[in-house]
Amino acid sequence: MRGIYILGGYPDRESFKKRFLAVAETGYDFIEVGLPFNDPVADGPVIAGAHNRVINNGTTIQSIINDIIDLKNISIKKYIMTYSNIIYSYGIDAFSKKLDGYIDGLIIADLPNRMIGFFYGRGLKIPIVPFATLETRNSDLDSIIHSKSDFIYFVGIRGITGSKADLTSKELLEKIKMLRAVTDKKIIIGFGIKSPEDAAAALIAGDGFVVGTESVSRQEDPVKFERYIKSLMVASKN
Amino acid sequence: MHPNNGFYGEFGGQFTPETLIPALDELEGAFNEFKKSRDNESELARYLKYFAGRPTPVYKAENLSKKYGVTIYLKREDLLHTGAHKINNALGQAMLTRFMGKKRIIAETGAGQHGVATATVAALFGLDCAIYMGSVDAERQMPNVKKMKLLGAGVNLVDTGLKTLKDAVSASLKDWVANVTDTHYLIGSAVGPHPFPEIVSYFQSVIGTESREHFQSLGFMPDYVIACVGGGSNAIGIFQAFLDTGTRLIGIEAGGRSLDPGENSATLARGKKGIFQGTLTYLLQNDNFQIEDVHSVSAGLDYPGVGPQHSWLRDTGRVEYSHVFDKSALHAFRELTRLEGIIPALESSHALAYVLDNSSLFHGKNVLVNLSGRGDKDFGIVEKYNLEEL
Repeated sequence: MRGIYILGGYPDRESFKKRFLAVAETGYDFIEVGLPFNDPVADGPVIAGAHNRVINNGTTIQSIINDIIDLKNISIKKYIMTYSNIIYSYGIDAFSKKLDGYIDGLIIADLPNRMIGFFYGRGLKIPIVPFATLETRNSDLDSIIHSKSDFIYFVGIRGITGSKADLTSKELLEKIKMLRAVTDKKIIIGFGIKSPEDAAAALIAGDGFVVGTESVSRQEDPVKFERYIKSLMVASKN
Repeated sequence: MHPNNGFYGEFGGQFTPETLIPALDELEGAFNEFKKSRDNESELARYLKYFAGRPTPVYKAENLSKKYGVTIYLKREDLLHTGAHKINNALGQAMLTRFMGKKRIIAETGAGQHGVATATVAALFGLDCAIYMGSVDAERQMPNVKKMKLLGAGVNLVDTGLKTLKDAVSASLKDWVANVTDTHYLIGSAVGPHPFPEIVSYFQSVIGTESREHFQSLGFMPDYVIACVGGGSNAIGIFQAFLDTGTRLIGIEAGGRSLDPGENSATLARGKKGIFQGTLTYLLQNDNFQIEDVHSVSAGLDYPGVGPQHSWLRDTGRVEYSHVFDKSALHAFRELTRLEGIIPALESSHALAYVLDNSSLFHGKNVLVNLSGRGDKDFGIVEKYNLEEL
């Protein structure tokens, strides 16, 4: 599974929709759309800077959600990636009712697996994607394998978005092996995937990849953006 | 005050990246072991007494009391080594760090008091230390920046957001995610994910315990206990000991320049429930679900969130919360300095200001104010105002 993260409303609503279409047309399996938050503790300077720009432009969370709903007929799996406060403060139930059926899942950067039930218990019907990390212990596996999501988001680094993962490290491969032993869910590696070589390596180590910082850093420029997402697609098919 | 599964009522929880969960579990385990061990407790008590200078006195401020018609007692945390209550928690968490076998500590700081306390315990325990401080705060609290560097800590200036406390916490969390294997995040206020609020409250509870003992020796309890609230560590430290008494407890937030958005950090007066920096709590946020800008004349109070225990204590009604404006805090700063010869931190000046501004309400009552820190760090701020005009 190949995926691209782009930030909703960035650099403006029209450009965002065009980049969304480009990702789908390039043949990606899924897209993650970020909803901006001005205290993004899991994000490095590139994505955090883009979040702030969207917010300072006056683009609202509501308008980005409406844009995502408008793209409902585009054939690609759609996920929203954001922070807990956006969903909680929007209203968990209201958020769920608004988007249920339009997206395939939620990735919440500051929601650990053990707190997923907190959102379901307050009316969320959309599946939340669980995380596996380099720190995952055996005792954490239950919450991962029993999740409602169709895949596991493997955080490839200790750190924030924009750092570089080592996709051949023994540590990472052993954690993936530990997951394989208990689940058939797809393991998608995010955080730290930058180059076409990384994308290819992620498909060997796991079942797929998602790229964020490198796509957002090109999101303003359609030519660079499309050239980049195509390069990943070509490399990962070889 | 014990959390239920990490929550105080509906507040608290663990809203952090998954990568930090094993470290939070390890910390909780270490904390529970720590509390069971008499050796640990007595070692901490020794540090608190001989290194930090506890117990701190409760001082009856006669001159101030006479002028305002209120009997004002001050819990003198300003007399502690490093100049504020922050050392209580820093010593405790340094012992937890040693117990966990970690070699490096990081901390956020606003006014610099927690940064200095952390740099101090790092020197004492032989730990590597990195402090995150907003660059705006560093400029307005320069003496503390110099102290941290002298003590051997690396000071990292944070240039994101408003370049103040919230941004320093974010930068610390990011460092922690990247270095979680060998690093402990020595958080300075009763904020963040479980078990931090519980740990910080526990190590700060000595303030309230000593205060209560003092009043027991006097044969009565104070009518009021008043403390300033940013994240809320000094307030929770003193309030805890009085929860089962008839004493009225009041937390004072920074009203800043006004109660308009962006002009204050009066979270409990103006906030809505939200999730921020690891915890569900009241939060200053706008209608686009974004964290609001904050302001206070004091660098230790301008935080858009508040510890989850305070949100709960507010909703249960056991603690009342109010706010004072910058000008009132500066006025109280001058009054205490001139009438008692005690220069208070601008943070603590907020708690005192509430009493002076409402002296008719407190007339004839016994009021205990937590003087959480001393004010020499604030010279750079105070000299920008004409204190004689206040």
